[in-house]
Amino acid sequence: MRMPWQRKPSDLKIPPSSAAGAAAAAIAIPAPAAGETGVIHLQGVECRYPGSDSPAISDFNLLIRPGEFVSILGRSGAGKTTALRVVAGFEQVSSGYVRVGGQLVGSSFVHIPPDQRRIGLVFQDYALFPHLTVAKNVEFGLKDLPADERSVRIAPVLEMVGMSGYESRYVHELSGGQQQRVAIARALAPDPVALLLDEPFSNLDRQLRAALRRDIKEIVRKTGATTLLVTHDREEALATSDRIAVMGQNYIEQIGTPEEVYQNPVSADVAKLIGPCELIPGVFRGGVVMTEAGVFPTRVTADNSNSDGQQVLALMRASELEIEVAGEDEQRTGTVELREFEGEFSEYSIRLDSGTLLRVRRRAANGIKVGNRVKISSRDESKVIVFPV
Amino acid sequence: MTISGVISTGWKSTDGKRPPAFLVASAAAVALAALIPVVYLLVRSVSAGSDWVDIIWRANTAAVFGRTFLLIALVTIISVSVAVPVAWLTVKSNIPLRKVLSVASVLPLVMPSFVMATTVIEMYSPKGVLQGWLSVFGVERLPDIYGLGGATLVLVLMTYPYVLLTVRGALRRMDPALEEAARAMGYGPVHTFRAVTLPMLRPAIAGGSLLVALYTLSDFGGVALLRYQTFTSTIMIQYQSSIDRTLAAVLSLVLVVIAVLLLLGEGFTRGRGAYHRSTVGAVRVSRRFDLGRWRWVGAAGVGVPVMIGLIIPVGVLVHWLVRGLLNDQELLPLLIPARNSLYISLLAALATVLAALPVAILAVRFQSRLSRFFERSIYIGFGLPGVVVALSLVFFGINVARPLYQSIWLLIFAYAVLFLPASVGALRSSLLQVSPRVEEAAQSLGRSQWRVIFSVTVPLVMPGAFAGGAMVFLLTMKELPATLILSPIGYRTLSASIWSAASEAFFAKTAAAALLLVLVAGVPTAYLTLRGHGDKADASDRSNEIGEPTR
Repeated sequence: MRMPWQRKPSDLKIPPSSAAGAAAAAIAIPAPAAGETGVIHLQGVECRYPGSDSPAISDFNLLIRPGEFVSILGRSGAGKTTALRVVAGFEQVSSGYVRVGGQLVGSSFVHIPPDQRRIGLVFQDYALFPHLTVAKNVEFGLKDLPADERSVRIAPVLEMVGMSGYESRYVHELSGGQQQRVAIARALAPDPVALLLDEPFSNLDRQLRAALRRDIKEIVRKTGATTLLVTHDREEALATSDRIAVMGQNYIEQIGTPEEVYQNPVSADVAKLIGPCELIPGVFRGGVVMTEAGVFPTRVTADNSNSDGQQVLALMRASELEIEVAGEDEQRTGTVELREFEGEFSEYSIRLDSGTLLRVRRRAANGIKVGNRVKISSRDESKVIVFPV
Repeated sequence: MTISGVISTGWKSTDGKRPPAFLVASAAAVALAALIPVVYLLVRSVSAGSDWVDIIWRANTAAVFGRTFLLIALVTIISVSVAVPVAWLTVKSNIPLRKVLSVASVLPLVMPSFVMATTVIEMYSPKGVLQGWLSVFGVERLPDIYGLGGATLVLVLMTYPYVLLTVRGALRRMDPALEEAARAMGYGPVHTFRAVTLPMLRPAIAGGSLLVALYTLSDFGGVALLRYQTFTSTIMIQYQSSIDRTLAAVLSLVLVVIAVLLLLGEGFTRGRGAYHRSTVGAVRVSRRFDLGRWRWVGAAGVGVPVMIGLIIPVGVLVHWLVRGLLNDQELLPLLIPARNSLYISLLAALATVLAALPVAILAVRFQSRLSRFFERSIYIGFGLPGVVVALSLVFFGINVARPLYQSIWLLIFAYAVLFLPASVGALRSSLLQVSPRVEEAAQSLGRSQWRVIFSVTVPLVMPGAFAGGAMVFLLTMKELPATLILSPIGYRTLSASIWSAASEAFFAKTAAAALLLVLVAGVPTAYLTLRGHGDKADASDRSNEIGEPTR
């Protein structure tokens, strides 16, 4: 649903500049590939903070298409917030190119200030204006409109986020979730080219977080806003995104749909970020991996060309493993240390003889008890992913 | 993108935070202006050539040095011993009338030293009021009030509120969990105070002591009336009695050196420990300590400085006024001085806060070597006694800015130089409470940096601006030496009127003018103190990380 006042991304109000043009001509900026019409496009971006030896992000490439919801998932300190601040214009890049709505807004020689980028930003701590009411907060970004049009816009935006009736409240009179909604309304009101969300749910308690996540996803879907979410919470990224960009230290390691990234992580690091798992060492031989937990069939992911005898790490996920009570003489077994009953499923913690702890999640039945020696296998003969060491 | 966009940001490396040019330019102008007095004193002293050593000796400096330091040491030690218990009793205990006593114990701050001095002379001099009361018990003559004893009494009464404010702020912000942890580990209340509370208060006590010491160093009216010669009064006498002002300039420079040494000394006592809370999260309000029956004793204890520093002086003034009115003594036409004082103090407060704004924003938001330099230059005014600033501005006015000389603008300039640290300090602590994310949010909504400052930053630091402005207002009302030296001929303010009336022993006039001043200056002070978590207490406490002005 496009709000009546919303413009297409191509309406982005960045005046074409002769200076930028001249600079562009002289330095020959690589044009985006044909057919790629990204709303946000970062090419080989590097950003350094003064006084720091290593760049906060480096060789950073990301293209977000119109209407897409993309998450950047990474550990704290990986540089994901820096990437977002580069797009918003609060950090200058030392090399590479940043485009918003097709316009070059950041490079080593061009820097469009944040106020001219028309990007909606929702901060981790919301950063609402404490001296203004809810309505005035939302109105803040509409300064270019005549006064009567402004009030016409505020009402539907507040209604969309479910905050009608709170117009004259002050920020400190709202709960955390309500402040969050106002922050989103404020960011969306001026019809931004893209919406950037910086860890928007991290200040909320768990239950509220899930509810609000769904609401925001719905709001974003209704407005058709192109959205970039930065988070360290994999559930958040998996549940909301069309695509997820998983960050290693200062660059994007893998980008794809949630399913792609979950099913085919390109590295042990990505696997650990995208879902709970254990990585246990093993040896690859003839299509199987031999580990202390057992022998498992393997699956070849994108870029692991394993040769026989190679040391690998095998990805063990609780939902992909099966256990059964082991016979007296069977090798490669572990001991059930803990069983956590969760209703439909039970989660078992299996201590291997080396001390490694594996988790197995299965339907509750079949009488396996704490203290049992068990044999581990992959469920339904599904293939285990291995990464070269 | 505009061409200026390319020029201002394009050709530099990734140091993203470049402050807007207008901010840097205005902060630079303010910093340079604040440095004028020192630069001028230096020029003046250098032009005296090698005579300056001679000059210093001729003025019998060593003895004055000794007297000044003795006074500073006494006043500081006694002020701290009065202020720390009063602070603890009014913040941490359940004494009766706690709120009233909190405000009243700060209010001696509004008494100008020369007013306090005249009332002290009236009360405690050998044939004063107190002697009259005591004659019932056969006391014929009290010890002489003039000299060190009287000067110490006056200055302690006026300056203990500085320590009180800083210590109170620190007590309020201290995490009660620290004391509770000590109690849980088996420390008794007294032991806890000694082992945890007092060490945590050390920076606040040091900061407050610095204010007291600098005030004592710079006071003129009080010590002059009590006939105790210090460095500042020597300079004033030199200035008023000789035509050649080189000596005054050289002595002023020595005074600056002493002030800087005091500043450095305070930094030295601070040590390396951390004093802020180590955890995030809201500070719980600490429970007040139940004193039981002793709470009445506590209240009486707080009442003593309130009685001696506020009630008795005001009582003496009222007594004089009534006696004068009954005897049909002619009162000065006070309306014009009162209006002048109000006008010039408001102007000074406004000018000072406006000048402080760019410096504070730059220092907090765009930290760099340059912004630190600007802020430091502002704090020069903190170490400069009013006499020094006024004298150097006289030289400056006569030789450089002739049109400004003998106008109120030079006077306002002097006040601004003297009191900039107060407003920068208050604005700084206010700014620190505004998240930079809020400003970024405004920018992402399409406002330029310049407009963000006016639509978001300035409204949000208004409490700090008001607190700083009120402090400047109060200090300007009280300031005497700068006012005496720089007021245009015929332009009388309240403080100048009080001074001349008191010097000529016109008690009714002194009383009327002084009561007016105390009333006008007392209202904003009481208001700020009453705001409980008082920005004033906080501002003065936080700003003394570098310092707060004293006069």
